[in-house]
Amino acid sequence: MKVLIIEDEPSLNKAMVDYLHHQQYLCESVSNFHDALEKTEIYQYDCIVLDIMLPGGSGLELLRQLKDNQKSEGVIIISARNELDDKLTGLQLGADDYLTKPFHLPELSARIAAIIRRKNLQGNNIIRFEELQIDVQAKTVKVQDTEINLTRKEYELLLYFLVNRNRVLSKDAIASHLWGDDADLAENLDFIYTHVKNLRKKLLQHGAGDYIRSIYGMGYKFSLK
Amino acid sequence: MKLFTQYNRINIAASIIVFVVGSVVFYFVLRAVLLKQLDESLHTEQTEIVSYVQMHNKLPEVVNAYNQQITYVVTHEPVSGTNYYSDKTREGDGIEMEWMRKLVFGITVAGKNYRVTVTKSQVETEDLLQMVIIVGAGMIALILLAGYVINRMVIKRLWKPFYKTVAEVEQYQLAKQQALQLSVSGVSEFDLLNQQLTKMTDRAQQDYLVVKEFSANAAHEMQTPLAVIRTNTEALMQDEYVLQQHDKSIQTICQSVNRLTRLNHDLLLLARIENNQFPRQQKIELDKIIQQKTTELAELLASKKLRYQGYLEPVQISCNPHLAEVIVNNLLSNAIRYNKEDGIIKIALTPQQMIVSNTSLLPALEKDKISQRFYRHPDTKADGNGLGLSIVKQVCTVTGFTLQYDYQQGLHIFSITF
Repeated sequence: MKVLIIEDEPSLNKAMVDYLHHQQYLCESVSNFHDALEKTEIYQYDCIVLDIMLPGGSGLELLRQLKDNQKSEGVIIISARNELDDKLTGLQLGADDYLTKPFHLPELSARIAAIIRRKNLQGNNIIRFEELQIDVQAKTVKVQDTEINLTRKEYELLLYFLVNRNRVLSKDAIASHLWGDDADLAENLDFIYTHVKNLRKKLLQHGAGDYIRSIYGMGYKFSLK
Repeated sequence: MKLFTQYNRINIAASIIVFVVGSVVFYFVLRAVLLKQLDESLHTEQTEIVSYVQMHNKLPEVVNAYNQQITYVVTHEPVSGTNYYSDKTREGDGIEMEWMRKLVFGITVAGKNYRVTVTKSQVETEDLLQMVIIVGAGMIALILLAGYVINRMVIKRLWKPFYKTVAEVEQYQLAKQQALQLSVSGVSEFDLLNQQLTKMTDRAQQDYLVVKEFSANAAHEMQTPLAVIRTNTEALMQDEYVLQQHDKSIQTICQSVNRLTRLNHDLLLLARIENNQFPRQQKIELDKIIQQKTTELAELLASKKLRYQGYLEPVQISCNPHLAEVIVNNLLSNAIRYNKEDGIIKIALTPQQMIVSNTSLLPALEKDKISQRFYRHPDTKADGNGLGLSIVKQVCTVTGFTLQYDYQQGLHIFSITF
């Protein structure tokens, strides 16, 4: 999977590239409007992460050109401006998603995965991990062909873990993924503990491996030990 | 004291002094003039007597009239000079003493010395003087009264532009971003005042805009560094060795970034509501929004052992959809955040009002402070940033709703009247 990161803040750009690279994405990055235009004209990507305020031009303008050129890349806008208008314009221009800075890297990764899944939905709506099978269209989870019954939050949590496997996910990041703006209400984030515990129990009960580990009270990691 | 009253007091006092002094002077001047006239007629009499004596060498016959008497008295010595004076004498057979004007002069007729006294009544003069004084005093009173009445009526009208300006200034709100509209009155003092007021408010408006833009821009500018801190911390977290050594520090950084992010988000939202960036209004089914939100939060409510009681009538209000959600979110978040274990949250929705009430460990809040930015009850342990209600209040202001707070029987009650 090829991803293009367009972001002018070098440190942010690098952090995104590093993180996504770890998630098995092929990442390229540029930091201004001109380079971005050139790259998108020459190459084909699965997903483009696009900052709106760029040296040399607006990300929205770039988006317009992409769509004019009939490019089929998924585009996710990341912007420091939480302006509803920008968001609407972006989505109207054909962006697939919109993230406001500061975002959590695992969230970006989850959004990119979702976009790519949507783009290649034909016949490819099953995510596999060892004995786990997740049908993202039917929203069902199977452990070795037995379907297990998860609540919506547990399902979202599992999907989030799978997309960000082998990464330490902070409780904050998980909370904001599951509850969005209400994340800060999940006081002490004990709430996440309950959900993780339940998910883990259900997976174990159905004979799946124990993949979820608590990391120093900070968060969780989903991995093959 | 009103300016007019103050002015009037000075004016009336000065007028009375001027009129009293003027009247006294007038009295004496008039009296002197009248006496002079009387003296002249006495002098005429003298001349007549003298010329009669010269022609006939005898004294003329005395014909005493009501207002004129002449007496001749023989003297041994010739009387020298001519002497005018006033004297109070009994006149005729009257009992009253009256003022008389007398002229005494000497004359020699056929070797005999006479002292001639011509007396004229001064009563008429005195009467005239009295009349003049009475009329004068009346005039003074009348002028003062007229002045007062005219002032009262005219001054009210003259000051009208002033009160109009005051009313306009009273209505003026910096946050509304409308220029102060003051009409031209044609009176240069008021026009000057209006001009300066308009200039001042324009300046204030500009400064206000700068400050407002500053806070919005500052919040914007903070987003990127925040993103850098957060992403780098998350990258750092991936190194389990570092995590093991510094888990507390990393956790603290994460929490602080979260708080800053939240704060930034709320400040930006406030600025945008203030700047009227949510102009779109439409009919909104508020009960549906509340229902949806409470369903979303059901888990959270259960985990905090909170009981939710909703009394929702189907209600449509006219509001920006995003802002309607913001109101519901913020009120409900507060009701959850500041609640206590086994507490209650009630939402009552009628076509006139939405009332959110909740139990809490906190005592009654200060009514006039609840919507102040960054106000939080000193005893609170929950980690709100004190902007939630300011945002609700701001939404109410731009949408024309009113926010009210009450504390009754252990319930904090927030009501919004549409």
